[in-house]
Formats: sequence, structure tokens, C-alpha cells
Amino acid sequence: MIARLIPVSLALALLQVSLRFKDDGDLARRLRARDAGAMRELYDRYGRLVYSLILRMVRNSAAAEDLVQETFLRIWNRMQAFDQERGALGPWVLTVARNRAIDYLRSADARMSAGALELDHLEHPGRYCDFEDRALSLDRARRLKDAFEKLTPHQKTVVELAYFEGLSQTEMAERMQQPLGTVKTWVRSALKVLREQLTEAAAV
Amino acid sequence: MTCEDLRDSYELYSLGLLDGEEKLEIDAHLARNCTVCQKYLKDALGVNALMLSQVQEVVPPSRVRRRVMASVGMERAGWGWAAAMAAACSLIVTLWLGVEKRTTDRELTNARATLQQTEAERGRLEQAFTFLNQPETRQVNFGQGQPTPPRGNFFLNPRMGVLLIASNLPALPAGKTYEMWVIPKGGAPRPAGLFQLGPQGSAMHILTGAVDSNVTLAVTVEPEAGSPAPTSIVLFSAGF
Repeated sequence: MIARLIPVSLALALLQVSLRFKDDGDLARRLRARDAGAMRELYDRYGRLVYSLILRMVRNSAAAEDLVQETFLRIWNRMQAFDQERGALGPWVLTVARNRAIDYLRSADARMSAGALELDHLEHPGRYCDFEDRALSLDRARRLKDAFEKLTPHQKTVVELAYFEGLSQTEMAERMQQPLGTVKTWVRSALKVLREQLTEAAAV
Repeated sequence: MTCEDLRDSYELYSLGLLDGEEKLEIDAHLARNCTVCQKYLKDALGVNALMLSQVQEVVPPSRVRRRVMASVGMERAGWGWAAAMAAACSLIVTLWLGVEKRTTDRELTNARATLQQTEAERGRLEQAFTFLNQPETRQVNFGQGQPTPPRGNFFLNPRMGVLLIASNLPALPAGKTYEMWVIPKGGAPRPAGLFQLGPQGSAMHILTGAVDSNVTLAVTVEPEAGSPAPTSIVLFSAGF
């Protein structure tokens, strides 16, 4: 009866979220072994989130489709460097996706084109090890969302500019026409609130 | 700077948004495997991933999945629909050709049967002409002066056999056929072959083989498989 009351789209969304709870270790092992089914499972687990993130950042569906493809191809090609025992696929996949979008945005307006190498360094799969279990769990997501809602409008704006538009603090200051020092304060205080909320949750 | 001084900068650092002195400081801490900074970096990566996962989700078009799989060599993308369409068309064409072939085969079989039938008819006509052209062939007609059909002729050749040409024969019910009889004088009727109605109520029947020259020829209606002796009244007859 309950299943009948849930719209199909919502059911699919719940399925995707629930898939993210599953152990990534086995999936990573199969990806490293070039298991075709594992790649499909990876897409089914993270494809929707990756597409949504990239579309949110580039605001162009055709470009987003290209960048999703690039993201998963990059994951596939770098899988051998991923630690299948200690690695966390979700955070790595999201970082790679964001960096593809940032690359696109920067190449689109020719700003900070030299940053590509830096992004490449930051998304090295070796960095995504020894995360807490269920790094993208619903509980942690809810806590972060609650914390974000408590931020001031300026803090929310700078966080969104940093995560979804890839602006540096200097660029934020220009965009918002605010002193750099003020922007830095907003950014750091906002990030501290978010981090502490998760840290407290982990300590409970 | 101490690790704590840098505590609030790891998120921006791991997003690639930190520059200046702070970035250099973190690079230096990480380069010397500072465990505290390693942990801070890990925490920051976790916060970032969770923050990015907060995006409102949108369902990607199904072609994106196909493209992703194609890019790693697992499925054909882009033109996959065309391949599927081509396969469907190929199947339809194959089925159509199969049906056409069966139709053609059936028509060919029918044509062959018609040809064989025509050849048989031609053979019978040639046989009939040969029969009629023989000087010893005698003719006896039947039905003349009768108010109702059928009418026709028996041609008897003692060496070749009997030729029957009849017209105005009545149509027969299903399961029935005409049967000719040769009746020797003082003897019992002998079966002389079955025949069916031709076009417009006509019929031609040939009995090949030697026949006594003073016999009576008769025709009855019999069951489809024929009878060893007449089972119905004589429809018409003639004596030689």
C-alpha cells in the first residue's frame, strides 16, 4: 500500500540515495577489475547527483551532459590509483565532477585558466581515503543542511559562490562589492559552523 | 603559521580557492606529512563532498547513461538508437521477405500445378484427337431426342478403348463423382474410370485399353472413391 502512494520519481530518488549507503569497497574492487556491471552501478549510484551538481554549476544541459561523461571517464581511467580498501568513492566522484564544471566555467570566461593543474592535484584518488563511514549519509546530509540554514544570508551566499561557482575570496569580494576582509570573515565563519556541526555529530 | 591557524582554510584549499601565503603554508604542512593537517584536510574534503551533495537533484536524460557507458567502451552511444532502428528494420524486412517468399513459393506451386493440369489436359485432347482420327473408332450418341440433358457421344475403339464426351451434366453434391461402366453382353458392369464435371457442365473421359466391340457403356453417380459395381440408377448409356 505505501509503495502505491509514493510517486515513481520519488521512489527512484529514494533508491539512488539508498544506493549511496551501500559499501563502496566492493564496487571499487569491481571497478578496478574493469567489471562492466560495476560501471553501470557506479552511474546508477552517483549519476543523478553528478548531473545535478554539474548542471547547477554550468547551467547548460548540453555542457552538463558532456561534463558528466568526462567525470565518469576520468573516474574509470584513474580507478587503479584509488584505494579500494580505504577509499570513499562518493566524495571523490563529487570532487571530480565539481572540478570538471569549474574547468568549464573557467575556460568559458577565460579566468584562472592556470588553475586546472591545481584542481587535478586536489582530486587525486589517494586523498579520498579513511573517511568516516557513510560520508554522504542522510544523517550527515541533514545535519549539514540544518547548519546551512542557520547561516546568515551573506554567509550562505559566499558558501554557494565557493562551492557552486568556484569563486575565490577575491572574486567574491568583487562580485559582492564588499571588502575582501569582510568576505573572508563570512567565508571562514560559515565553514566553521558547517564543520563543527558535522564534527559534533561524529562525536555523539 | 600553526596547524590551528590554518584550521579554517582547508575547505577553501581543497576546493582550489585558496591562494597567497595561506596556501603555501598548507602545502608546506602537508609536504612534511603533518598528521594534524592531514586530518584537517580529510575533514575538509568530507565537508566539501557533503556540501556538494546538497544540490537539488535533477534527473538526467537517459542518453547520458548510454554516453557514459559508451565512453568506457561498454555500450554504443549516440547512434545506438539508429542501430536499434536498423535492427528493427532489418527484422521487419526479413519477416516481410519471409512472407513474400512463402507467397511466391505458394504461387509457384500453384503455377506448377496449373501447368501440370494444362499439360494433362493437352495430353488428353491429343489422345482424344488421335482416338477420333482412328478409322476403326465408332461413335454412338446419347440423349438425342430426350427432353432433358445430358447429351453427348461415346467413341469406342476396340484397340484403344473408349472416349466419352458429354455436355449438360448436372452438378454433383459434395462427396459424389461420375463413374463410367463397361457392360459386356450378358455380363456384369465393369468399372471404367471416374471423372468430374468440367467447365459449363461438360466432361471428357477416356478409358484406355482394349475393349470388346459389342458392349454397352453407361454412367452413374457414385461415392467419391468410386464403386466396384453401380450403386445408383444409370444416368445415360449407349450400346455398341
